[in-house]
Amino acid sequence: MVVLAPPPEKHDALRRFFANLRATPARVKDSAFRGGKPNTDRTRSTFVFGNVFLHLHPVRTHRWSLRWTATMGLGIASLAAFLITLITGVLLMFYYKPHPAIAYDSMKDIAFVVPTGNLIRNIHRWAANVMVLTVILHMARAFYTGAYRAPREFNWLIGMGLLVLTLGLSFTGYLLPWDQLAYWAITIGANIAQSPREVTDALGLTETFDVGGLQKLLLLGSDTVGEEALIRFYLLHVMILPLGLVALLSVHFWRIRKDGGLVRPADADRRLGPVHAADYPVFTEEPRKTYQLAAVVRGKSGAVARGPENTVPSMPHLFYAELAVTMLTIAICVALALVSDAPLKELANPQVPENPAKAPWYFLGLQELVAYSAFMGGVGIPGIVLLGLGLIPYLDREKDGTGEWFGGPGGKALVLQALFVGFGAALAIEAFAIRYGWLREWIPDIQQLWITVFNPGTVLTAIYAAYSIWLVKRHQSTRAGALGLFTCFLCGFVLLTIVGVWFRGPNWDFYWSPSDWPGH
Amino acid sequence: MQANKHLLLWTSLVTLALLVFAAANENVFKEWRRVQSAASGPSGPIDVHLRQVVVPTLAVADRCVTCHVGMAAGEPVVAGDPTLKRHPDVGHDPNVMGCTACHAGQGRATEKAAAHGDVHFWPTPMIPLRYADAGCGGCHTHIAVPTVDRLAAGERAFERNDCLACHKLDGRGGTLRPLGAGGMEGPDLSFVGARAFRVDWYDAHLARRGEASGGPWDDSFGPLSREDRDALDAFLRSRVGAPKLVQAKATFNSLGCRGCHKIAGVGGDDGPELTLEGAKDPGRIDFTHVRGEHDLANWLAEHFRSPATLVPGSQMPVLSLSEPQIDLLVRYMLSLRRANVPEAWWPKDRVRAERLGEREFSVDGATLYGSFCAACHGPNGEGMRYPGMPAFPAIGNPDFLAVASDEFLTSTIAHGRPGRRMGAWGEGSGGLRASEIATVVAHLRSLGGVALEPDSRAPRWVRGDAALGAQLYGAHCMQCHGARGEGGEGPALANAGLLANATDTYLFETIRRGRRGTTMQGFAQPSTVRPTLADPEIESIVTFLRSWENQP
Repeated sequence: MVVLAPPPEKHDALRRFFANLRATPARVKDSAFRGGKPNTDRTRSTFVFGNVFLHLHPVRTHRWSLRWTATMGLGIASLAAFLITLITGVLLMFYYKPHPAIAYDSMKDIAFVVPTGNLIRNIHRWAANVMVLTVILHMARAFYTGAYRAPREFNWLIGMGLLVLTLGLSFTGYLLPWDQLAYWAITIGANIAQSPREVTDALGLTETFDVGGLQKLLLLGSDTVGEEALIRFYLLHVMILPLGLVALLSVHFWRIRKDGGLVRPADADRRLGPVHAADYPVFTEEPRKTYQLAAVVRGKSGAVARGPENTVPSMPHLFYAELAVTMLTIAICVALALVSDAPLKELANPQVPENPAKAPWYFLGLQELVAYSAFMGGVGIPGIVLLGLGLIPYLDREKDGTGEWFGGPGGKALVLQALFVGFGAALAIEAFAIRYGWLREWIPDIQQLWITVFNPGTVLTAIYAAYSIWLVKRHQSTRAGALGLFTCFLCGFVLLTIVGVWFRGPNWDFYWSPSDWPGH
Repeated sequence: MQANKHLLLWTSLVTLALLVFAAANENVFKEWRRVQSAASGPSGPIDVHLRQVVVPTLAVADRCVTCHVGMAAGEPVVAGDPTLKRHPDVGHDPNVMGCTACHAGQGRATEKAAAHGDVHFWPTPMIPLRYADAGCGGCHTHIAVPTVDRLAAGERAFERNDCLACHKLDGRGGTLRPLGAGGMEGPDLSFVGARAFRVDWYDAHLARRGEASGGPWDDSFGPLSREDRDALDAFLRSRVGAPKLVQAKATFNSLGCRGCHKIAGVGGDDGPELTLEGAKDPGRIDFTHVRGEHDLANWLAEHFRSPATLVPGSQMPVLSLSEPQIDLLVRYMLSLRRANVPEAWWPKDRVRAERLGEREFSVDGATLYGSFCAACHGPNGEGMRYPGMPAFPAIGNPDFLAVASDEFLTSTIAHGRPGRRMGAWGEGSGGLRASEIATVVAHLRSLGGVALEPDSRAPRWVRGDAALGAQLYGAHCMQCHGARGEGGEGPALANAGLLANATDTYLFETIRRGRRGTTMQGFAQPSTVRPTLADPEIESIVTFLRSWENQP
């Protein structure tokens, strides 16, 4: 605490002036951080709720949530990756110029003459990839620990929105370098946006109702990828999508608190046992603040009525954990940035198509399906998957296994089985289609609509759905079906992505290795 | 919490270490920093900073001078590393046009491999230094160059007539001073083709000689023959400061490459267009069968040695070129790169060629023949045989030229021979103008060394017995020309182009006297292996040949 100057005397204004001047640094600190050093329960609480950035956190955190296995820190890692891309992205914006004539040159300038420009670009690129990965893993964690269940159903939906925004951010950033990779990947993406035409064409509706063409036009602002597309993607990438993401993130975090913190098993307290002696003792002093407001909040809130024994002050326990994960994410991104340069191919050339033209890696699973049916791969199956994911919390109203990894009927054994089924089915259908071709190879003049309905993607989806329904019946549990379905789709995503990334060459033909590609 | 604290500590330390490493990499270990700090000028070590040549109108920001410091404007002469030396004196100042305009490569890069373009994804790597003058082709691809022979004739005239006594040319000569020790040396003629010269140089020289008394004007200059003066003019027009490139283009113009390949819309269609051959992206070339370094120059050289090995299914014959010839052709191919520069930067020759309709090759008969005809018909019209292809006719044959009228030759060149390899060379197809075709025809006449025999008869004067003709054809002609005149060892006779263009006299005389040097013997000549045909019999064969004219 600041020692105040002695009571004022007459005619000593000048002395008081200097005394105040001396005291100013201490007072500035005091006025900025109320409550003093966070070394008691009370000041630790003040530290959290007295800070605009920290007050999204609870004042006290349950010990279950701090176990590494509870969350693997994946949510914080996603946030950290986002913050890294935000900061590095703003730095890149100082030098990047979004016009086809100079965009590529500005990329070269960033790579070669902007101080640490290449490193910052590499960090930006790696953080973006890490973010896509951690967001997907974070979703898997939330799913497998049953965190989507009541009262967190809506936060699961918001999380899905964040996943879509994350992919959108990454995809829009893909075009900006304006090199061959960017140009043709976005051309593929735009054609996927146009894929509903496959269905409207087959139904003879394209003349009157060309939703695919409209989507592509909205995305590119033109028939082909050009300066209109570049400025659109730039605006989406640096403004609209980040703002949307920040807005949804705020809701996502806020709802974590309003939904009663992170998910944990009902018997978490029992399983954790007494507080470890090395941990900070709880409630060392009499509380000054009462939880008066607890009465007006509906549902389970905070630690009221359940005893605070298994909570520890968020400051410092939670913040150390969060900082550690953040720092780990930064270390990983910087290390990757030093090891591997972000790609920058030749200047975009609309006359020379890349062959194969590949979308960003996280879309290659979809591109693999697009190779059979643009509509199903690009719109149909992703739509079905998103719809299924969104419905899960509303269909699974069970309580069993909440807060535990692979909790619920069937448990780990079921997930293991689903892993085999998911990989096996995807591998079998891919191997079959690669070895024997598909309808188009057998009946050359078949109507595309048949392939749209019946292709490896839809067959795989049907197999997964049938397996999941069988699981529901067998275990008499929706959760069991959901566990199976989610695992299967994850397997399908991973396998198709692997095939798309490493085993597809020119004309999307199958190759064991890129060294077998013709012309190499 | 202890675990989290440890994680925080160690990840922070790792991040810090990585950032320190990155900072050191950025600020200390950059290649160009080492190059610059090792250099020293006349007043001590040079200032270490990034240097560049910026030319906004060419969209050039060339950082080559960051390492090649001595080539930047206003930099001191730097000792040491050859990297740092001054740019040799060529026609252009690197500070006006930048570096990549001539040398290609990646000007914005500041690391050696990337800057030289020896990396993936840079489509225009630096032109190898041994072919540096190929870079001139970016703007000066249009300089008119004659054939190797004509060029050599000019050079011989230049040397034989002692021009080198006073004039410097490509670094040689210019030792004598016309007015004694205090006199000026003769002008350097190395760039005279680019800067133009007086058309009346010869008369002016003669006048100066008249005024002079003694010295080189008397010893080294004397009257020149008309022929020598023409050769000198052609030679001097090609002196643009890049003698090797001119020699390379002359080689190209002598081997008849345009017979199959178009450049800027002029040439044949059998091979790929070569207009931008030198700007090919090495990243899109298959180097499987190329020895040595995988660059475009080596690919081209290997391709000239064995085209079909590098390009499966290539129709290009093995030309059996000598290694120096291959080297010259590679140099010329690399120069075919037509940079996309604003018109304000175009040199005279490019403006003349692309706006005023001048040619990018000399338009004398020898050069036109050398550029367009020599590959198939032989350098001197002796015909050609390539494995797997029908023989190409010897159009320099005196027996042929004695009976082939100018109209016949002109029409054949302009419209080609449908159904045979001979394409149409008129303006709509091969791109030759009427005046140029006339020049080629005149050149052909000079190849045969015989005059056209005047023919006063009507084009279709023959009235023979077709039935007899058919019988005689079957007996004497069919074996070589095919049962229906479709050709075989001999050329096809049932060819609409031939029959439309050839007069009766042409056919009649060709049968009567044959073609010396070919298997076609004259049927009027006595022979031990076949009967001699009388004129009416030959006429009946011509009548029979004419019967194919109206068949579809």
